Amino acid sequence: MKAIEDFTLVGKTILRREDSYLMRGKAQFLDDLPEPKGLIHIAFVLSPYARADILSVDASAARALPGVIDVLTGKDFVDDIKLFAPVIEIGGYRPVGRPVVAGDRVNFVGEYVAVILAESPYVAQDALDLVEVNYNPLPSVAGIKDALKPDAPVLHDHLGDNLIFKSAFETEGFAERFAEGDVVLEEEFQLGRVTGVMIEPRGCMACPDPIATNVTLWTPTQIPHIVRTAIADHLDIAESILRVVTPAVGGGFGTKAHVYPDELIVVALARRLGRAVKWVQDRREELLTNAHAREHILKIRVAAKNDGEISAVHLDVRTNCGAYPNHPYSPTLEATAAVRMMPGPYRIRNYKYDVCSVTTNTAPTGAYRGTGQPSAFLAIEGMMDRIGRRLGLDPAEVRRRNVIRPEEFPYVNVVGVRYDTGSYLPSLERGLEMIGYDAFRAAQPKDRLVDGKYRGIGICNYTEVSGTGAPGWRVRGFAKMPGFDSSRVVVEPDGKVTVYVSQADAGQGHYTTFAQLAADRLGVDWADVMVVEGDTSKTPYGTGTFASRGSVVGGGTVIRCSEKVGVKIRRIAGYMLNADPERLVLRDGRVFDPADAERRLTLREVAETAYSMNNLGLPQGEEHGLEATDYYDPPMVTMANGTHVVQVAVDPEDGRIEIERYAVVHDCGRVINPKIVEGQVHGATVQGIGEALMEEIVYDAEGQHLNANLLDYLLPTAMDVPDLELSHIETPSIDTVAGIKGAAEGGLTGAVPALANAVGDALSGLGVKITRVPLRPSYVFEQIRKARAAGEGRT
Amino acid sequence: MILEGDTLIPADRRMVWKALNDPEMLRACIPGCQSLERQSDTDFSSSVRAAIGPVSATFGAKITLSEIDPDRGYTISGEGKGGAAGFARGKARVDLEDEKGGTRLRYSADVNVGGKLAQVGSRLIQGTAKKLSEDFFVALSERLGGTPAAAEVAGASADAAGAAARRAGAAGRRLLWGGLIVVLLIAVAWGIGG
Repeated sequence: MKAIEDFTLVGKTILRREDSYLMRGKAQFLDDLPEPKGLIHIAFVLSPYARADILSVDASAARALPGVIDVLTGKDFVDDIKLFAPVIEIGGYRPVGRPVVAGDRVNFVGEYVAVILAESPYVAQDALDLVEVNYNPLPSVAGIKDALKPDAPVLHDHLGDNLIFKSAFETEGFAERFAEGDVVLEEEFQLGRVTGVMIEPRGCMACPDPIATNVTLWTPTQIPHIVRTAIADHLDIAESILRVVTPAVGGGFGTKAHVYPDELIVVALARRLGRAVKWVQDRREELLTNAHAREHILKIRVAAKNDGEISAVHLDVRTNCGAYPNHPYSPTLEATAAVRMMPGPYRIRNYKYDVCSVTTNTAPTGAYRGTGQPSAFLAIEGMMDRIGRRLGLDPAEVRRRNVIRPEEFPYVNVVGVRYDTGSYLPSLERGLEMIGYDAFRAAQPKDRLVDGKYRGIGICNYTEVSGTGAPGWRVRGFAKMPGFDSSRVVVEPDGKVTVYVSQADAGQGHYTTFAQLAADRLGVDWADVMVVEGDTSKTPYGTGTFASRGSVVGGGTVIRCSEKVGVKIRRIAGYMLNADPERLVLRDGRVFDPADAERRLTLREVAETAYSMNNLGLPQGEEHGLEATDYYDPPMVTMANGTHVVQVAVDPEDGRIEIERYAVVHDCGRVINPKIVEGQVHGATVQGIGEALMEEIVYDAEGQHLNANLLDYLLPTAMDVPDLELSHIETPSIDTVAGIKGAAEGGLTGAVPALANAVGDALSGLGVKITRVPLRPSYVFEQIRKARAAGEGRT
Repeated sequence: MILEGDTLIPADRRMVWKALNDPEMLRACIPGCQSLERQSDTDFSSSVRAAIGPVSATFGAKITLSEIDPDRGYTISGEGKGGAAGFARGKARVDLEDEKGGTRLRYSADVNVGGKLAQVGSRLIQGTAKKLSEDFFVALSERLGGTPAAAEVAGASADAAGAAARRAGAAGRRLLWGGLIVVLLIAVAWGIGG
């Protein structure tokens, strides 16, 4: 492999080719696809109850509506769709299966109870109002703490209680090491439930092949190959007869990196009826039924020395699984992520964790940008500030004393995760410098009150797991998660290039960045490289685009595969030029020996030879064609890192938080396309601002969903986003191809703790402790009011 | 959700009590009420058209009276189902007291809503319930207070929608707004609007 310094296109901003159609509204999303003849539109009757027995379903009125083809219930799917369940092999996990349409019992508001099949989507919607379901409501439970009470309703009888997953870990001699601390601090943090709200909600369309038994499923997913495997498995059909294709995907954020019951249902119906079947989700259904995330409670106890050095940490994490395990991750995903990521960039050698996941009568939770990491860092970064306050140290200094230093890499953390390279201390220092930290602190009054507002600074120093390979999934029990991704690079007869990648772009810019990488390795113009993704019939098998793996694994395999093709190009060209293949270089669409540059071939001439389109033969033993296939399984994980430093002003009159300065230092190793990385950092940071300050799915204690609409589930808008000051540090990985690390989630992971800490710092003069997100004005105002009342009580 | 309030009805306590137990009167006064039938001394069934924000539906409700203290008050409990729109259930205590100028009616209701009503209408429920209750009391007062409306009660009750439309100048608008929650609401509506 050529040295990274030889890359000429890597590190260059090339404007995204996909923007030309995305920005002009030309992209074809699911609902833009031409509709096949005889298309059946389906709609789901959703449970209004959090827990109830279904006594009867009377669909006679719905069936009588002109245009309604049929109304089906759970029993109609029992025969052709198995109970939906992920395969997880980890101690402490107890499997629970989910009927794709409820049978006798519903377990959360929004669970599918019946399916309307109609000739038009409008008729299907009208018919929803005509289905009469007779429920017998049962006691239900929504919150983690309520679900763990001894008298709580038990969702799944075979479990006996609501603990679906439980695990623990402890380093040797933990208790003794903990006791060596001079001070012990304890806190309980909470994160509200959120979900990845996409411009394009979900939907899917299954089209049977008219002459065979094959079915094509169009679905905006981040994991087409995993969707195909899961559907074939649960429908008990051959994987080879199913093709999964992603149209343009309007945002994924992990929420679209699941397999959903509706995807199984449309395929089953298309096969059964021999007609195409389509479903499109509305905004309310999106917020009710897509995978939610977070709703974590983290109890953390830290023992520290008087100089601020952490002696030991005990973390207890409880997560809300919802009513059923999501597919394919199960509720262990965020639970194990939170406890494994907590050590982060710090030298924490004595560690104990307890973690559990609890089933409740709420929608299933799963993957969402940041996965467990915003929670982990909310806890540990919150404690960094508390250690500082307790010991009279600057919170930045506490971090300096605990952070892993450049000379300590490669470093293996306390749970066995290797950090090959990183810039934890330089990143922290640069972030502080950008915000003018020392000057701010020097001028900051003890009560934090400046011009009528409480002003504070928050820091989050984070690591970001990216590019997880098979070993990284196995160690967490994900027995069926491939880990690798793959590509097929084809030099076509005309010398242009097509790159097929196992991933599925949801807006990340793969059609540009992967073209850059292949063009770089093959010495062609990047505009001559087409990238094909999101089609299981065209691309080799792979894991997909989520968990910050696109650039590491997808990029890695494209580089490797292009180099494999490059070897064949050199062999053939060497034969044609009577030159040593080893000495040949590929540049500007040509193949030549730099020492003898007069004798050269175009790539097209080599391709014509490979495809037998001239009178020149191939070398002895060489096969026709000019392509290669590559499967790349990256290391366990690759750790990116960064620092967010944010300055806020809290208005005591209304509890509103204004972000006054926002600095992000970001290190994702080798940058392929700086503009795209900046876009990722901006987007993730804004989602982090949403999670920290406003977004929250609210259930009442019984599991009624109270804000399944975008008036009440608040998302950040341009009005809420400050100028983000970005700085890149590039510390290439020594473990991955080309030194690439992932870049998609750190922005969110850094933002949540940094904002919470900034508000905590601003209100520290009042004695307010910030222990939860979102920090909505009503909550912040109430904390200020209480603190002031308590203060007056004392005086 | 707790809903509480009180209102002065310009009629003596016995008349108010009688009205609160008269299906015809209730049907005429409950916003959106399409039918209300007495099933037994203490049980009613009814059908009410209600809208909260973007959600509208006809709710079928079963209502039971208990803790009856004749001429002084009762407890209404009930549940209304609005199909795809969701459901409401709850309980309301209604108490009557003599007061100068008529009878003071106090109500306190605890109502739970579920389904689409809760998902997209939570923010609007309190306001809508309050409005529906007001509409109910205005209608009831008009009928009991000897205003011209009272003379029409019998006729109006044959056509609840018509009665509702005549009820006040802004009746149409109120009806729209009017959905409180459902049944209970209704039930409540007359009790309180619950």
